[in-house]
Amino acid sequence: MNDAPTIKHQTSNFLNFVWRIVDVIVGGIFIYAGAIKVFDPVQFAIDIDNYKILPWPIGVGLAFYLPWLEILCGLALILRRLYLGGLSILTGLVAVFLVATIAAKVRGLDITCGCFGHASQNWNFSAHLALDLAILGALLALSFRVMSGNRLQDAV
Amino acid sequence: MVKSSLVRQALILVALAFVPGFVQAIFFWDKVSWRSPVPASEMVTVTQARAWGENTIWVDARPDNEFARDHVPGALPLNEDRWSELLPQFLAAWSPEKKVVVYCSSEGCNASREVAHRLHKEAQLANVFVLEGGWEEWLKEKR
Repeated sequence: MNDAPTIKHQTSNFLNFVWRIVDVIVGGIFIYAGAIKVFDPVQFAIDIDNYKILPWPIGVGLAFYLPWLEILCGLALILRRLYLGGLSILTGLVAVFLVATIAAKVRGLDITCGCFGHASQNWNFSAHLALDLAILGALLALSFRVMSGNRLQDAV
Repeated sequence: MVKSSLVRQALILVALAFVPGFVQAIFFWDKVSWRSPVPASEMVTVTQARAWGENTIWVDARPDNEFARDHVPGALPLNEDRWSELLPQFLAAWSPEKKVVVYCSSEGCNASREVAHRLHKEAQLANVFVLEGGWEEWLKEKR
């Protein structure tokens, strides 16, 4: 009796389950982050302005737009609708956010990230960086999985 | 195939997000200051500030050399470079019934907003305002 295909199938199912958990966690984080900022767009506009990169009117516009984009992309990950688009947008957003945060630090700006609204206002730079890197890592792992067309589970 | 699907999906999400964002911006239209980070209630024109007369303390948030060149008559210098040094002089002149008007060089400069914010937060002062248009506007009104 050859049990290899059964084991392979079970491993594949388990890996799929794990990746779905990652989808839900990452998607949930962005939905939460977006929802917090939707309720206080003025504070988010101030947080964007503190980076001293964009003019105030553009920062205000982004403060109204970005939280909804985060929520929709988070839903895309969880519901697996427009998944690729959501994944790529979130990866881009986090990458830009990371660069802006590091640039602000290098320029000596003492700012709050604004990632999670007032919930994250007391976090220090290291905590922000660690969370952003972890989220970016998860997004890149999900992207790699999609791009490789599940070759990883086929190799098990 | 994957690439075109990715771009298409991303564009759909980008476009969809505009709808609730736009609706929310309309709802908040009067509640947010679109031109400047200082709320409208904390901005004051030259005419308004002048009308307060003796009850006004003018604060010049520009660098020392610009203050030395010219400033609003009776203004006190208070900039971020020499904050701890200049703050005592300002506090000595301040009293609760007075209105503080902070200005810097123009509409686009941030210094007056930063100084006003610090006076609110660190010195716990109320009645602190930012001069709309700054020193440039004062000069225009003077002519």
